[in-house]
Amino acid sequence: MSDAVSVCNGASFSGAVQVLDAGLCGMITLRGDLADEKLSAAVKAATGMGLPKPRRIKKGKRGAVAWMSPDELLIFVDYDLADSTVTKIERALQGQYFLAVNVSDARATFALQGTGVREVIAKGAPVDMSPQGLPVGEIRRTRLGQVAAAFWLSDEEHLTLVCFRSVGSFVYDWLCNAATEGTLPRLTG
Amino acid sequence: MRRYSAFAIAREAARYHTGWGRAWRNPTPKKSYDIVIIGAGGHGLATAYYLGKNHGLKNVAVVEKGWLGGGNTGRNTTIIRSNYLQDESAAIYEKARSLYESLSQDLNYNVMFSPRGVLMLAQTEHEIRGYKRTEHANRLQGVETRFIGPKEVKRLVPIIEISGPRYPVLGALWQPRGGTARHDAVAWGYARACSDMGIDIIQQCEVTAIRQKNGAVSGIETTKGEISCNKLGLVVAGNSGVLAEMAGFRLPIESVALQALVSEPIKPAINVVVMANTVHGYISQSDKGELVIGGGADGFNNYTQRGSFHHIEETVRALIETFPIISRLKMLRQWGGIVDMTGDRSPIIGRTPLENCFIDCGWGTGGFKAIPGSGWSMAATMARGEPDEFAAAFGMERFIEGRFIDESVAAGVAH
Amino acid sequence: MLSLHCPYCGVDVDETDLTPGGEAHLVRSGSGSDDADFEAYLFMRKNPRGVHFERWRHSFGCGKWFHAARATDTLEVFGTYSAQTKEPPQDVQERIRARRPDWKGFGKGDRI
Repeated sequence: MSDAVSVCNGASFSGAVQVLDAGLCGMITLRGDLADEKLSAAVKAATGMGLPKPRRIKKGKRGAVAWMSPDELLIFVDYDLADSTVTKIERALQGQYFLAVNVSDARATFALQGTGVREVIAKGAPVDMSPQGLPVGEIRRTRLGQVAAAFWLSDEEHLTLVCFRSVGSFVYDWLCNAATEGTLPRLTG
Repeated sequence: MRRYSAFAIAREAARYHTGWGRAWRNPTPKKSYDIVIIGAGGHGLATAYYLGKNHGLKNVAVVEKGWLGGGNTGRNTTIIRSNYLQDESAAIYEKARSLYESLSQDLNYNVMFSPRGVLMLAQTEHEIRGYKRTEHANRLQGVETRFIGPKEVKRLVPIIEISGPRYPVLGALWQPRGGTARHDAVAWGYARACSDMGIDIIQQCEVTAIRQKNGAVSGIETTKGEISCNKLGLVVAGNSGVLAEMAGFRLPIESVALQALVSEPIKPAINVVVMANTVHGYISQSDKGELVIGGGADGFNNYTQRGSFHHIEETVRALIETFPIISRLKMLRQWGGIVDMTGDRSPIIGRTPLENCFIDCGWGTGGFKAIPGSGWSMAATMARGEPDEFAAAFGMERFIEGRFIDESVAAGVAH
Repeated sequence: MLSLHCPYCGVDVDETDLTPGGEAHLVRSGSGSDDADFEAYLFMRKNPRGVHFERWRHSFGCGKWFHAARATDTLEVFGTYSAQTKEPPQDVQERIRARRPDWKGFGKGDRI
């Protein structure tokens, strides 16, 4: 099998903030009844974590679980473990309604680092990017420029953004452009 | 009415322009008229004009809640074309276009009709096929259009970028006899000619109720008192649903906002009208030099006549890929108008469930180009009491009969 | 620009993240219904200049359909609520009444 590479193959850009193609990342879309105990047990068995509250992303040693909608989670694991994690979930939930799909290769992930990460995203997403509008640990599904994206902050200087791989290079270019040195409002306080 | 002419200009110049009269009277409403038209926009005034001119019916009033031509007539992008796919549409829009050609002479008022030609860009393979089909349909309908290739587009519009990466220009449907006219002048010209025939135009007169007797209309109540009439015409784009409710029937119409903007004025850069339906943008240059740019319609009901920034952004973003030269221009102003949308994106002209009450509405995003044809047809329909040859297909009964005139599919977009 | 509160995500969402879905609380008429009802179902949408109930989809977010109570003449939003209901919840109706004392009530007097 050919070697899998991420959409921009690890490219990085250093401007007002750093933009980095975060490489291959295992992602599993899980749809089902989030109130169902068997489902949360299956997630726990596969990732070691319980379900996040609405809008939150929960991080653990083996990955992360993000709340995507009232009946959808996005599970982050190592790229190599995505298929086996799907198999685990499938076994655990056999016989009931659910949907678990390895979407790793349909996604691109970018990491932004610096004090201005909120300002960079604010240039193109219709979201209140203040710390009150998007607290640390909250994931927001929205659009960036003209394409769908989801992002969250793990602390005030680290933002991760996920989008469709098909628009990955556009998003990377967009982020680099938005992060051009000297284009962010001066940060005070 | 003293006619406008070169002699009149010379005469007035000699006496320091002191002798110009008012273009139209400002009468107080009479107690009663044969016919009352609600709405003094282009369509309403044209209806009144052709009632007087073609049918000898001059005991007519046009009532308007605001000022004449202050609705969509004053808010559109003034494009005139008739390259529609369906026979019924092509017939009435071509009638309108041909009336525009001689409208200045007819009204003795310069409406500045400029048959500069209209290009509808094909920017996808789908559009190429669609416009070739329209070209063939137009040929059978007697509407002069031609599908042209990108080189000819570039010759007609030197500022266009035909090989853009995202929206390349693959060809265009070219209607050389389409163009633009001065939108206010169309309303003013009709108003002046109506007033001259004795037709009363009553502005700032809002209709508050429609009176009926035995299932037929008997008059209206307005902020300037009651006016009785034998026949009533509703010609109020955007507010058709509100008037229909007063008259006691429903319309298959939703009112949505459509937006436009103009750039700062520049020297002549583009002397045709270019429409890009894939990206929802159309552009022409006014005589003042502003680029007049129109965008798409909102997808939700709205009566506020306001615009929204993201529509402008979308339209401009697409247009600067097609016309990179305009990327540094500043926007001068931006506005919204409320348009009537029907299910098949074609208008409604004809009778209503209320006897002697007629309606002309649903022109969607393309009413200006239709003004003379719409007025012509609505006047004939009201005078005879039944739809004329143009209106016959546009009755509102077509929705219950499933007999649509589907221009939403045909054009990909309604303009 | 409109901004609506997604009842599923609990965030205020801009119009550009949403897809409008037309009139809410439609009564469906399918095969077997008479022509007038079928026409009304397909084409006769309410078009009030005032209080209106609509379907919206948080298409760039959770993807769920929800309902909004809105004024078409001012763009004021009275509230949003779950789509799994046959009429607007009482608190939304009360908010409309507080802002629009002349509102006749849900499904009343709005012929168009």
